[in-house]
Amino acid sequence: MTELDVRQRVLAANEAAAAALRERFRARRTLVVNLISSPGSGKTTLLEATVAHLKDRFRLGAIEGDIATERDAERLRRLGIPAHQILTGGSCHLDARQVAAVIDPAGLGDLDLLLVENVGNLICPTSYDLGEDFKVVVLSVTEGEDKPFKYPAIFARAEVCVVSKMDLLPHVPFKLDEVRGQVRTLRPDGTLLEVSATTGAGIGAWCDLLTARLAAKRAGA
Amino acid sequence: MHELGVASEVLRVCRASAGSGCARLERVTLAVGELSAVEPDLLRFAWEAATAGSPDAGAVLEIEWRPARQVCEACGDIAERATGSWLRLCPRCERPLRVEGGQELDVLHLSYEERETPADRLP
Repeated sequence: MTELDVRQRVLAANEAAAAALRERFRARRTLVVNLISSPGSGKTTLLEATVAHLKDRFRLGAIEGDIATERDAERLRRLGIPAHQILTGGSCHLDARQVAAVIDPAGLGDLDLLLVENVGNLICPTSYDLGEDFKVVVLSVTEGEDKPFKYPAIFARAEVCVVSKMDLLPHVPFKLDEVRGQVRTLRPDGTLLEVSATTGAGIGAWCDLLTARLAAKRAGA
Repeated sequence: MHELGVASEVLRVCRASAGSGCARLERVTLAVGELSAVEPDLLRFAWEAATAGSPDAGAVLEIEWRPARQVCEACGDIAERATGSWLRLCPRCERPLRVEGGQELDVLHLSYEERETPADRLP
């Protein structure tokens, strides 16, 4: 019997691919955000509002991860930006190699802001670095307010938490203060934004955050 | 359910580390953090699936659980908490806590049976 100390990250191969992507995005000064949420939280609708708000000022592009259908990428292409759909065929997350493989063929190699919408799932995408600048977790008010403590890994890792569908708050028993407290507990230095893509409330603050982060990246921060 | 993908990566890392002299993996020790987004029971099940029908079938997957720590910004204490429960404030000084660690997903150690080399068979 041979004994061997290994001490290696299980996802080292993905992390190496993510590091190469991150270097490439750094050289191009492309800000990359990785949006993660459960299905139906309004990620694509948030991105539509983001594109409408920012597309005249910046070169935007999107990668949409889904198990099946081109629908999400089509929604964003209709707004006039390049958007590529990665069909994972049953896999529950995007990985860095999938993203790296589509950047050039999809014309996403020279952008100011690349929006990556992960497969709708609060668990698996958490583990896979895509070379992004930061992760954004989206939680809609129609979900339970216990989500952060139920899925602590993503809420601890996401620098930004977007509470979406705020226009529906008066109609649902969602305890916003409870969510604020749970998110702050898991990510004390994070940013929580409350938005409604339907009414436009909070979209300005969200886009300001993206714009400020892009400016910082361009300045080499 | 990405544990099958994770189990395949564990197998890949182990096989690459052990090299061509490895006949079969015997035991693999992993560190799995509370905030790794990996469920140990599912991972054990996926490990069986990933190794089934291969020389590594039956290799033991040992998981060392690594809890996250809630550390007080003010007094530096690590607050005591049960896995899965989170404290809002430091029990001692009622100041905010920051979350540290618990993101581990590492192959720590492995043992394997060596392949018989031609030299072993000499009389």
